[in-house]
Amino acid sequence: MLEIRTPSTGQVQLVGRLDASESDRADQTLRAMNGPLRLDCSELDYISSAGLGVLIELHKRLVAAGQTLTLANLVPRVRNVFMYAGLDRLLNIE
Amino acid sequence: MRDCRGRPTPVAGRPRVALSSSPMVERRFPRDVASLEGIYGFIREFLAERGIGPDAAYDVDLIAEELFTNMVKYGRGGEPEISIALDWDAPTLTFCVRDFGAERFDPTQAPEVDTSRPIAQRRAGGLGIHLVRRMADRLTYGYDRGNVIRVTKRLDV
Repeated sequence: MLEIRTPSTGQVQLVGRLDASESDRADQTLRAMNGPLRLDCSELDYISSAGLGVLIELHKRLVAAGQTLTLANLVPRVRNVFMYAGLDRLLNIE
Repeated sequence: MRDCRGRPTPVAGRPRVALSSSPMVERRFPRDVASLEGIYGFIREFLAERGIGPDAAYDVDLIAEELFTNMVKYGRGGEPEISIALDWDAPTLTFCVRDFGAERFDPTQAPEVDTSRPIAQRRAGGLGIHLVRRMADRLTYGYDRGNVIRVTKRLDV
């Protein structure tokens, strides 16, 4: 299960698991947001390729609009998935 | 027909002879991404029964999700349920997913993802098998009345 919290404008918290069963809903929710966006991933426990796809498309959309996407506080297991996918060098990860 | 270890499956009416101290445990799940929660639960339960903590489950969950969702997406003609089987022979976990009746689909032949490409040229397609290749020790494909994918992974327990 995934929860998407928006504590303030431009700040988003991803909580839980971003997998194939949650990726469509996450995509719809994030698609409605404009940048700059900072995603706090401190409580994101799990991400798969479906979740990476959502964040890749979000990044592309924001950059095309001249905005930014920042991913922050990734737990080591989730950070490893970004690294395996070669995305740690391409996305703005704090 | 053969099981996930490549052994002939037992003939109906004859008792199964135990060839291993840790028999594979199989469960079938509806062909739907909504099955993922149940699959994670199955993995957690299997590992817990063998004294393996939830930390080890992370990579197994990811391998299971990527292979299962591939079959959901590309397993044309398959039966309504997909089989997942697990086996533990310390320190190696074997994960086997079977899609009975589906057209041949071999994800091990998928081209490598070029991770050096700029973000504008990146997309999710192909990343799943790429992640499985990175996380698994061995990934093999076979066809026996359906697609059979087998992964082995050594767990740090």
